[in-house]
Amino acid sequence: MSAVVESQTSKQVKRAGLTALAFLLMVVMCVPGLWVVLSAFRPNGEILAKPPVWVPENPTFDNFRKIFGLGTDQVAIPVGSYFMNSLIIALTSTLIALAIGMAGGYAFARYRFRGKGGIFLGLMLFRAVPGIALSLPVFIIWSKLGIIDTKLGLIIVYVSLNVPFTIWLIDGFFRQIPLSLSEAAQVDGCTRWQAFWKIEFPLARSGIAAAGVFAFLTSWNEFALASQLTRSTTSKTLPVGLLDFTAQFTIDWAGMCAMAVIIIVPALILTFLVQKHLIAGLTFGGVKG
Amino acid sequence: MRKITALMVGTALVAVAGMASADETWGDYAGYTLRVKLIGGAQYEKLYAEIPKWEAATGAKVEIVSRKNHFELDKEIKQDVAAGTIDYCVASNHTSFAPQYGDIYIDLNGVMKPEVLAEFDALALKNATVNGSLVQLPRHSDISNLFYKKSLYEDQANKDAFKAKYGYDLAPPETFDQFKDQAIFFAKAPDFFGTQFVGKDEAITGRFYEMLVANGGALFDENWNPTFNSPAGLKALMWFKELYDAKAVPAGSLNYLWDDTGMGFASGTVAMDLDWAGWAAFFNDPANSKIAGDVGLVRAPKGDGGKRSGWSGSHSFSITTTCDNQPAAVSFVTFLTDHDNQMIEARQGLLPTRTQVWKDITAEFEAAGNPFMVEVFNTYSQSMAEDAFTPPLIEPWIEVSNVIWPNLQKGILGEMEPQAALDDAAAKAKVIMEDAGYIK
Amino acid sequence: MPFWRRESATPFLLLTPAMLTMAFVVVFPLVFSMYTSFTGFRLTKPASLYDWVGFRNYARILSDPEFWIPFGRTVLFLTVVLNVEFLLGLGIALLINRITWGQRTLRTIMMFPMMFSPILVGFMFKFLFNDNIGIVNNALQSLGLSDGAIPWLVDGKLAFFSIAIAEVWMSTSVFAILLLAGLFAMPRDPLEAAKVDGCNAWQTFRHITLPFLMPFAYIAMAIRSLDVARAYDIVTVMTDGGPAGRTEILWTLIGRVGYDNSRMGMANAMAYVSTILSILFTWYFYRKLVAARRYMGGAQ
Repeated sequence: MSAVVESQTSKQVKRAGLTALAFLLMVVMCVPGLWVVLSAFRPNGEILAKPPVWVPENPTFDNFRKIFGLGTDQVAIPVGSYFMNSLIIALTSTLIALAIGMAGGYAFARYRFRGKGGIFLGLMLFRAVPGIALSLPVFIIWSKLGIIDTKLGLIIVYVSLNVPFTIWLIDGFFRQIPLSLSEAAQVDGCTRWQAFWKIEFPLARSGIAAAGVFAFLTSWNEFALASQLTRSTTSKTLPVGLLDFTAQFTIDWAGMCAMAVIIIVPALILTFLVQKHLIAGLTFGGVKG
Repeated sequence: MRKITALMVGTALVAVAGMASADETWGDYAGYTLRVKLIGGAQYEKLYAEIPKWEAATGAKVEIVSRKNHFELDKEIKQDVAAGTIDYCVASNHTSFAPQYGDIYIDLNGVMKPEVLAEFDALALKNATVNGSLVQLPRHSDISNLFYKKSLYEDQANKDAFKAKYGYDLAPPETFDQFKDQAIFFAKAPDFFGTQFVGKDEAITGRFYEMLVANGGALFDENWNPTFNSPAGLKALMWFKELYDAKAVPAGSLNYLWDDTGMGFASGTVAMDLDWAGWAAFFNDPANSKIAGDVGLVRAPKGDGGKRSGWSGSHSFSITTTCDNQPAAVSFVTFLTDHDNQMIEARQGLLPTRTQVWKDITAEFEAAGNPFMVEVFNTYSQSMAEDAFTPPLIEPWIEVSNVIWPNLQKGILGEMEPQAALDDAAAKAKVIMEDAGYIK
Repeated sequence: MPFWRRESATPFLLLTPAMLTMAFVVVFPLVFSMYTSFTGFRLTKPASLYDWVGFRNYARILSDPEFWIPFGRTVLFLTVVLNVEFLLGLGIALLINRITWGQRTLRTIMMFPMMFSPILVGFMFKFLFNDNIGIVNNALQSLGLSDGAIPWLVDGKLAFFSIAIAEVWMSTSVFAILLLAGLFAMPRDPLEAAKVDGCNAWQTFRHITLPFLMPFAYIAMAIRSLDVARAYDIVTVMTDGGPAGRTEILWTLIGRVGYDNSRMGMANAMAYVSTILSILFTWYFYRKLVAARRYMGGAQ
């Protein structure tokens, strides 16, 4: 009897130990990122202090005030417009990529056609072309079309960056849904189009949400192409705006950390909101087939 | 009483504004939007806060199409050249970069009033000229001199120990050999370093180049054959290497750029810092610097050739050939470099390109009881007048620099024998000069 | 009935938008850059776009150790970071899978690094690894583990290590989350059966869990190799290929040759070689994935 209790307690202890270990590990993993976040709330002197000051001794919002132009000596950085540009570009391109990805994923999951495997692989491989290899040709073509330094120009690029992976995930997800469901609906008088929206789309929602998060994070954080294709406040995004803190001779670490927080927070909120779908969506998407 | 003071200040401001518009009319460009690309960053931005004054005087609007650091701006302008999208009138430029851009900028001789140009420093204008064409109007100049921590040199124990070891009196260095001795003498890695150097990109090429010249060498001979692998070049490279091997510089130096050297010196852990004047006010400001009040300054040391190092360049403004309203652009760049605006930049320690501003800024600091900044401007004015020289103003300069600096690093780190590293870089530079058509 | 009304045309109609965007943003520019790789195109001289040089650019880079060394380093870098990310991600996923209390919070914390833009990760680690004022050296010194300023970003091996750390930090989460999803999807029966058969924990893991997870691992690998050129942002900020070219990878080399030196023709020739490399990596993992799927299909 007591042996059973003992083994139960020892199991509990073990489990608690494991949980503690997991939390400890995750916190350690986050330390570099947390350092940046903490540094956003301290004066420059404390960031450069030797020995290091871990927890801000004099927490301050000065760094944020400065980049919004409320400080004394620094010219404002147009964070507001960068933020709006980033948001518009990332959201629009994510939505378009999802629409295109759903059409494509549905085609791959539900139809047999010639060259299927080749087209699928081709889409993936074109995504593997490194951004630096594309940057100049895209720039020259975009400038001929007059869409340099516009949100549209960047949206087009991001859509194509995200389409292949989106198709991949959504394809896998549609395959999980038994064909019989949609067929039954069609027997009941639905068109294929209606059957898709009533039956298959709701079931695939988690997978679509997962694809959406990945697409959003890619567009939100992309730098190499955005730094080439944007110039002014009409299209510059937040990651490109980070460079505003590096002049030829100085880097403003405190300001950069504050900006980093502004970049991270929306991504964090979004991920937290759809986190449940993310795991569920990835579970089936893409693997089976 | 307060009201009266406010009133007086107000009147004074009006008077100043009145004066400015009296001796220079900026023209009338009502309804026109001038598109410009400017270098960004804290030291450069103060000037841009003055732009609304020009807008008010002319009725034009200024649209800053992009504002980036110069390396990013350089990329962007090259893309514009390639794609034919130069749809702006004014761009920031720099003497080291200007020769790359071919003929996208107009010759300012002839479009700017000669009497205005005459107020600029003649050497600065000469260095701004590429193939006989004044492609840029210098805004402020840079050149390096040697900042040092004064208390180290006043300490009797240091003096005695140094004299015993090196056989001459401890005083701020006059030559690069002394500079090296003292840097090694003061260093106690990892807590304290003798000096530091910028270790990559055009920054270390520039340092190497100015020491090469100071040692009596040259980058190229008269037929554009690379000659920097000469004994003078080897000596310059060995200067870096010996300091690095002796741990007299921070181990990370090879990854340092200008911000790192300035921050390092301000942190109080470095004895000497060869740096530009833009840091001077920062170094002596107790809010930012641990060595405020303890900063000394001497002219850059001499090399074996008896010459001081004096690598110099100017930030500048250029006007594009595709500009649709040249008079407005000329008016704008003239405004940005006029007397009052150069005074604004000079107050931060940036070196003016107008001769009158040198006098006025020194007088102003004297009147304000700031002997340190007076000394700064006196020292830098001497070096601008006597020591300044630019890199060769040729189109492949940046490309040549990109084969020199990785090999300097290899030599310093001991990955290649120093002489072999220089020979290899010279061979590569020769290919570049051949490809560019300089060597027939 | 016109072609586009036929049932057999539907999948092509559905795929048209995807193929159009890819053609417009990737294929079309690639053709253009393919052309320029056969010219002596210099950015600052637009006329040189018509200066046909045949295979000269390719001949030059293929015979140049200054190209092959970064090439080899890039392959090494990819191999090292992808494997380390996989192992760490696997460990984290297995651990979190066993936690019941606070798992949701843990999963959110786990995804924290995914929020960071690569350029931001670069600046962050450049700052952390700074030899004089960086927090890593400061911490080591105040803990008494090191008395010198370790030149993280300068020493040849350490610099490579530092950029690899930054890359691993940024991307391990992607592996962890995909593998965790795999663990969640795992059927219970085979595990129970193994227990009954008396398999120990290691045997169960080796013969049941791992084979089941491999497709997820290959997906993660394929996704990461699609995306791995993002490391360009990190490296360019942290070391820009230096010092003495010790951390030069293909992408920083291409950036320098193309933009700083204006030799776009040459840079595009290099870009083509690096494109082929990326495609090979992706293709390799894709084949593995297809094979692993078949294996799973056969086992079930």
